[in-house]
Parts: sequence; C-alpha cells; structure tokens
Amino acid sequence: MLSEGVTLRAAIRQVLQSHRDGAATILSSLLALEDALGYIPPEGIEEVAELTHTTTNDVWGVASFYPNFRFDPPCEHTIEVCWGPTCHLLGAPAVVKEVLDALGLANEGDTPDRSITFKFNTCLGACAQAPVMALDHHLYGRLTPRAARGRVEALKGSPAHRR
Amino acid sequence: MTTDNRITLRIDDREVRARPGTVVLEAAIEAGIYIPYLCYHPGMKPYAACRMCMVQEEVEVEVERDGQKVKEKQLRPVSASCTMPVREGLVVRSANDALRNLQRGVMEMLLSEHPHGCLTCHRVELCGPEDICLRHVAVNDRCVFCPKNERCELKDSVRFLGMDLLSPLSYKTRGLELEAADPFYDRDYNLCIVCARCVRVCEEVRGDNAITFVERAGKALVGTSRGSSLLESGCEFCGACLDVCPVGALVEREHKWDKAVRVSRAVCPNCSVGCQLNLEVNRREKLIRAIPELNAPANRGQACYKGKFGLEFVNHQERLKRPLVRRDGLLQEATWEEALAYIAERMPAYRGAGFAALASARTSNEGAYLLQKFARAVMGSNSVDVDSNTRPALARALEQPLGYAAATNTLWELEQSGCILVVDANLTEEHNVAGVPIKRGVRKGARLIVIDTREVELTRYAHLWLRPRPGTTLSLLGGILREILESGLEDKEFLAAKVGGLVELWAALDPYTLEVVAEATGVPMAQIREAARTYADADSGAIVYALDNVAPLEQAAQVHALADLALATGNLGKPSSGLYPLVRGANAQGSADVGAAPDLLPGYQRTEDEAARSRLEERWGVRLPVEAGLGLAEALHAAASGSVKAMLLLGDSASYTSGELQDGYEALERLELLVVHDAFLGQAAQRAHVVLPATTFAEEEGTYTNLERRVQLSPRALSPRNSEARPAWQVLCQLAQRLGAKGFEFSSAAGVFDEVASVAPIYSGISHGRLVREAVYTLRPDPRNPLPTQLVHSDRVSRGLLWPCPDAVRAGAPVLYADGFPGGQARLMPLPEPSVLSATPGEFPFTFVPGRVLAQEERDVAVERVGGVNHIRRDERVEMHPMDATDLGLSAGDAVEVTAAGARLRGIVELRESQHRGVVSMTTLFGELATRLQASEDPDPMARVPLLSIRPARVEKGVR
Repeated sequence: MLSEGVTLRAAIRQVLQSHRDGAATILSSLLALEDALGYIPPEGIEEVAELTHTTTNDVWGVASFYPNFRFDPPCEHTIEVCWGPTCHLLGAPAVVKEVLDALGLANEGDTPDRSITFKFNTCLGACAQAPVMALDHHLYGRLTPRAARGRVEALKGSPAHRR
Repeated sequence: MTTDNRITLRIDDREVRARPGTVVLEAAIEAGIYIPYLCYHPGMKPYAACRMCMVQEEVEVEVERDGQKVKEKQLRPVSASCTMPVREGLVVRSANDALRNLQRGVMEMLLSEHPHGCLTCHRVELCGPEDICLRHVAVNDRCVFCPKNERCELKDSVRFLGMDLLSPLSYKTRGLELEAADPFYDRDYNLCIVCARCVRVCEEVRGDNAITFVERAGKALVGTSRGSSLLESGCEFCGACLDVCPVGALVEREHKWDKAVRVSRAVCPNCSVGCQLNLEVNRREKLIRAIPELNAPANRGQACYKGKFGLEFVNHQERLKRPLVRRDGLLQEATWEEALAYIAERMPAYRGAGFAALASARTSNEGAYLLQKFARAVMGSNSVDVDSNTRPALARALEQPLGYAAATNTLWELEQSGCILVVDANLTEEHNVAGVPIKRGVRKGARLIVIDTREVELTRYAHLWLRPRPGTTLSLLGGILREILESGLEDKEFLAAKVGGLVELWAALDPYTLEVVAEATGVPMAQIREAARTYADADSGAIVYALDNVAPLEQAAQVHALADLALATGNLGKPSSGLYPLVRGANAQGSADVGAAPDLLPGYQRTEDEAARSRLEERWGVRLPVEAGLGLAEALHAAASGSVKAMLLLGDSASYTSGELQDGYEALERLELLVVHDAFLGQAAQRAHVVLPATTFAEEEGTYTNLERRVQLSPRALSPRNSEARPAWQVLCQLAQRLGAKGFEFSSAAGVFDEVASVAPIYSGISHGRLVREAVYTLRPDPRNPLPTQLVHSDRVSRGLLWPCPDAVRAGAPVLYADGFPGGQARLMPLPEPSVLSATPGEFPFTFVPGRVLAQEERDVAVERVGGVNHIRRDERVEMHPMDATDLGLSAGDAVEVTAAGARLRGIVELRESQHRGVVSMTTLFGELATRLQASEDPDPMARVPLLSIRPARVEKGVR
C-alpha cells in the first residue's frame, strides 16, 4: 500500500510539475490532475496545496465546489449522457432511462462491479446530433433508446479504457 | 480624541458622526442604531453575504411637475450597509416597510434550514426545558436546548424583525452528526446559517485557513479538507471561530449549557501578551466562558487555546480553600490565624541572606510589589524574583545598550512592519496572540525571517527560514550584523547621531566573517546575505525574540546582538520597528517593573544606587540591604546548598521542572521553612511547611503589565463561595504586620498601586482610578433597541496605560526612544568571540531538535477515534543526515528510537542532506498536543504546556 502511495504521489508531482510552467491556480492544478488521473486522490489535494501555497482546506473548498471532480478512481468505462435542452427535447429522457436500466443504476454513479461510471452531462457540444451520449469520450449521436442500450451492452464486456 | 476629521451623515433622521473609511453599518452600530446583520463582524472585511443589513440611500432629485422644477426626495435601490462607505452628507434609511419586508424574506430563507419553532414563537422567553409545547416543536429543535440560547444573534434579528409564527414549522433538517471528537469545540452544523464568519476569521484574522466552505449551492457548508478532523486541518484551537459564530453551531464544549448571569473583564493570566477577556459567570459563581474583548488593545478580539480553554483551573474542585500547616509531618487544615502565627513565629529567624522570595508568573503588580517590599523591608533580603524568570537576560539585557528593560514598541505595530525577524521563539504556543499581527503583516507584504533550529508554526509563513546548528544563533546574528556593516547597509545618520560604540563593535565582529559563520552555523552564505539585506532594507524592521534554547551564558550576548542589529539599521524609536522580548509569565514584566528582581528596587533603580535606596528607606522607614540578592536560579541553587533556609513562594511554577533550572522541587525540600501561597496543593505546596490558599486572577483586583509595557487593570470577576482564599497583597500585609513591620497598612489593591506609583518613576502617572476613568466607550447602546449579543460585551474598554508614564495627564509612549535615548546615546554592544561547539560524544552523541506545527500538508495523517476522542496516528519522521545514518547502520525508512533527557520517542528515519551532522529532528503536530491538553488530569494544564527544548540525545535502531 505504501509503495503504491509513493508512486501515486510521484505521478501527481509529475503532472503538477509540467503544469507549473503556466499560471498555476488551485483550479487549473486540479483540472490537470483530473485530466491525467481521472480523479483527484487525497495526495493530489495535498500536493496542490503545496504548489499553490495554500492549505488542503482551501483546495478542498475549490474541489468540492465543482461536481465534475471525482475523488475516487473512476471505473473502467465512463458513460455520459447529455441532458442539455436540445437532447432533452429530442428524446434524452428515454435514452437516460434505458441506459440506467441497462446498467442497473437509479441515478448517476458507478455500477456495483465498478466497470462503468454513469454521469449526466449538460452539453456534449453536438446538439445537431441530439440526443447524444459519450462512451469513454467517444460521441454517439442520433440515439434511440434501443441503440443506446446496444452501445452500453457492447461496452460492458470490452477491455478497460486507457487514458 | 480627534473628532475633527469625522464625517457627518444621517441615518433615519439622526445625525451620525463616523470615522472616514468606515461603512454605514459601523456608523450605525457606533451611534446605537440597530440594523440587523449576521455576516458582518468587527475586525473583518465586510462580506455582504447575509443580505440582512439592507438600507436605502435617500437622494434629492429635481423633477419637473406642472412645468415647474421641484426638488423631490427619492430612495435609491437597496444595498448592503456593511459595504456602503460613509460620506459627507449621505442620507440613509434603514427602517421602512419595503426594507423590513425584504429582510423578513431573507430571514425566512435562513429559517428554512434552521430549527425555528421557538424562534418565531411569542413564548420564546417564557418556556423552560420541561415545558410541554402546544405546537409540538421537537425537543431537539427548541431554543432552550441550544447552547447559544441567550446569546444568539439570529434570535435577536428574528425578534427585531417581528417575524410571525411561520406555519408550517417544517424546515430542512440536515441530519448531520454533532462533531464532538476534536478537542475543546462542539460543532453542530445543523444550526449553521453559512454566514462565513468562522471561515473568514480563520483566514483573514488568524491566517490559518483551517476551515473552508465545502460543496456549493444548497449543500454548501463549513468544513475541512475531505471532512478531516481539526487535528490535522491546521487548527490552532484559538476559538476565534467560536467567538464570532452568531448561532449555536460552534460552541465551547466545557460549560456548553451554562448560562451567564454576569460578564466581567479580566486580563488573561496565561502569558505576557495581556489579552483582555470577557469572563462569563453563571449563577453559581463559576467561570463558564472566556470571550476575548474586541476593543482590547493587546488582543483586538483574539485569544488562544490557553486563554479560551485554559482558565478552568479557577473552578477546579481541588482549589485550596483553607490554610494548611505541617504538623507531625503532615499538612493539616488550619485557620488563617494559626497559619500566620506559625509563620510569624519562625520567619524572623531567617532575616537576611537566608531568606528568598519568589513571585509567580501570575502575581499582580500589587502582589509583586509587596512581596519585594516584604523581602527587603521586613526580611532584609534582596533575594526576590519571579518564578518564570528562567531567562533573566531576556528583557534586562536591553537596559545596558538602550536604557529600558522592556519591549520598545506595541504589539499590533508589527502588522505594519516591513520586515519581522523572529528569533528562537515559538509564538504560536507560548505567546499566541502576538503571532496574529505578524501573520497579518506577512499577508500585507512584510518580509518574515525566522531564525530557529526548530520547525515551528511561523516557519510556514517565513520568506526566509534560517536553521542554524543548535546553539549557534549568536554566531549567525554576528554574521548578519557584520554583513550589514560590511555592505554599507547600516543607517549611518542614525548611528552618527544617536549611537556609540561602533568602533568596538567593528573590532569584535572581526572574527564573524561570512565564511566562518556559514561554517559554524551550517547556514549557507547566500541566506545570511539575504537576511542581512532584507532586514536592513526594510522601512521598518522589528525583532521578536524569546531566547528559546539559548545557553544561559550566551543569553545576554544574544540580546545585545539583536539590539545591535536594531541600532545599526536605525530600527529604534520609530513605529513598527524595535525589539520585542517575549517575557515569560503573564506579569513577569510588571513584577520586574515594581522591583521583584534581586538587584532592582521599584522602577528599575539599582539596589546599589545610594540615592534611590535612601529615598526608599526614608519612605519605608527601614534600612535596606545594599547588595543584589539571588535571582530565581541562584536562589534555588542556594536552597539546595543550604545557604538559603527559608523561602516564600507565591504560586507554583512549571519552571521548576522545565529543565532550564535543575530540579527546583528537590531544592525546595531542603528548606527549613517553606511558605507557599498558591491556589492548588501543587508540587511546591506539597513540600511546604505552611500553605496559604490563594485567589486566582479572576477573584482579585490587580494590575498586570504585559510585554508591551501596558499596565492593565483586571477587576474582580468572581466571588468564590466557601473559600478563605486571599490575594497575595493582603496576605503579605497581614504577615508583615504580624512581624511588626510598618508600611503594610493597605486596605485595597488600589492603595498598594498608589504606593507603587509614588516610588517607581515609570509608573508615576498610573493609578487604578485613572485606568478605570480612561476606559473608552466604544459603543453607546440604545436600550430600546436589541443589540447583537456579542457586542454587548464591548461597551467600555480600558486601553491600559503604557509606561513610562510620568504624570497623570500624559499617556505613556507606544514607541520608546522616539525622542532619543535616556543616556543621550544608545550603545552598540561588542559581541564575544564566537563560541566553538565541542562535540559531546558519550552517552548522548546527538542533539535532538523537536518541532511542532499546525499542519504538514505533505504528510498523510490518520485520525483514530478512541473513546469518542480523535487522536492522531502516524509514523513520526526522524530527520537525520545521510552520513549519520550510515554511521549508525540506518537507512531511510528504518524504525529508530530517540532517547532525549528521559523521554523516548519512536520514528522512521528520513534522510536529509540539509540536516546538520549530529542533529536529529522530529516535527510533530499541534493537534496531538491539543488532544493531550484536553484530556489532562492536571488542574491547570495550560500553565505546563511542554516547551520545545533542544536536548542531547541518543539514537538507536528501533523495532517497528
């Protein structure tokens, strides 16, 4: 466990090191970490506090403000379904219901086997293709509930997504 | 004082005068006009979050009506009065229906998340805890079950706004658990109204950032990083958040449910900062809470863990109530008559050098004055000192170069300093509130240089932390001094006009070259250069020092070196500069002022000074001993060797076992007569022949002089029941009279002080009467209006008087030496040869350097809850040089055991190239100490907070 902690910390330091050249703020540092690791571990909070000369409490204040940060490792795959206005009008609610049903979830969250994380997204930027969802950051548009379920079922057994 | 620059504005048809730069809300508060507010708090920047203090500006505009131009009054849109600056001619309305409706709307929103069944009920004042509520307000939701019930600002505002019974009574229950596992605080965030006062005070005033806002929108609340315990979040348990909380969310755990019937002001007895506290007293005459006074000059509304939570000793059940006399080897209860007779019978035999007296760190000026008068006039001995005075040179060594043995400037000037040099001092733990202006100064741009081998809290804020090898601070200071002079950074004009001794100093500094100093101290040359430049270049440079871990023989030299630094750079006699000796003990400064020192008569007149002595002899009507007596260390030594046979102690002292003296208690055991006047049967009292019960600071009237020379009056706050305890001045009077002495016929502490003022020139203009008279009204409450509860305490505040105070008209000088030095010139003191450190191989080949900080961001901390109490669990790291580790056959990550002066510490080896050879250091968390203090069985644990002392040590391989 200890050795894992050490390597994680080293990885965090590396991410922050390469990020340091720009104007490092608490938020930009957290974003850099989230991008690199997919989540913000406790060590990440500590290291960002060090880098930005603040305290872990300040960093946590920023981090906990944004629902898009996660604080535990993400699952192997991520599904984001857009529920922005356009997607909503063009059938997102039915897609959401179908996807949740396929995953056995009631709301945003991780499947019990930790294979898939389900998130809502307020806009995936592809309104012309609505309704849209993203599987591991790949966009799929003009979805029907059936098509969405098919994509999700296909994703279930596929190898873990690499960042 | 200066009212001429005040601005005139009108609030609700009342003309109000306000200081420029303030806001409308502050002007209203000062004028006694109540505008409800919840997030504003004096001493913090306006925040405008609660939207309660809304007002409207009234303007006159020209409008055309029937073709004619007429002037008409119009109201501008509403704005928050806490962010509306005052300006000449401003007209403000705070009390119209539109505003009230707006405020009620805001309040309804706040109440939607706060239990409010009682808040809006007309029976709120009538119901008691056992009453049946016809409205079925749940027990947990009732105001009578809120610890802040009688001091809730939300309640004040609700009642002021005349909120109706809200129906239904439902509100959003957060369902959060009470946070009660951390020391001293109970936090119930179900009651939080998210006004941000606590978060802001922690950041803005204390500079700790130990709490923050977490989450957002409907879920936003106050919390810590990942919900961690305060033990690891960087909390210093100063209680500032509790003091500003307007509701019951943050409260002191001790006496949580007790209601105050009375509030009395007192000066905190726990260190020499001299914080004024508002002591809340319940109907059983118990001290239940201490709330720092907002307008007190030394603390400005701040306190610390010792002041907030270290006064419980006053209520302790083990307090001595009656005198004890040793009969048949046992201390047995006696009457005052018997006890005084016992002493009077035996004491005269020890007249002369065989007698010594020690005042306690908490003895008032009156007690200390009479103690030295008793020792000198009655017992014929000059051996009188203060039991916390383990470092006699601390302030006294300033006398020779400058003139006065005291701090040169006042504490809060540090906030405006350009550069602050903190030398061998652990402010956060020992003079906590003195650290507040320093941290605030750093925020405003001051450069902070810390010189300390130990890692202490202030090193986190330091721009430059010089970490000399243990025991080499003097060399380092010599190096900095030489660097200043050599680089021409000195203040040549100041030196030429006001200072002598430059040639001698130059000669003495010859051996302190950069190379030699860097080699001896292990501090890189670049850092020494930078420190010299930073301090010398600052517009105003202040030096704060405590002589922690400085060898007794080097203490005077180190103070001289610091005085030289200040003199050479012209940092004396002007604001925000100077020297601040952090004297140890609440009234150690005052005790020395009034003559409780072996070589000083009251007012720093030498015992050898023929003229001064004969003046006093005439006044007291006795012959006085000439030669200086024994100080604290010598007196204990003499007691151990048998040359001092009788002692009179006022109070016990942590110094007797702190390691700075040898074992003091062992010395006391050898005395033929030991009289102890103390509130507890402490270690000293247990060895005494007679023990006299003492009142505490809260039960007696007295003056205390803080480290900035401020004489403050602490009135009697409590009248203990069923106790025969008496204040020191009274006991000394009775004892002296029994011994047939004249000049002890005092009936009050004020009378004693008048005599002090008449014999000590520096106190001439000070009297109890003047201290009371010159209290300033900071608030003129309008009795018809409800007041924000926490401001009620701030009605009348004495700002104390600074010495030297020559007459009853002038105030004392905040800055000493502004008009030159008493001797005409100050004197640069030559430094001794740099001492050569000799390695001490043998049993303890290493030097152990402890450190303690509030938080270590880079370290994982586990907090374990044992029996409902949080404890820190982590592997401590023992930092050592890689070569030392190799010599011991250790490598990084190995378990080691460090044995230092009896204590055994375990840790994990961490290798550091920057570590000095032969030094091992370990930095622990303050949270650990806080847990320990909270759990302590000691009746007065805050008086015995362990010092971070550097000790010889042995390092061995340990087992994991």
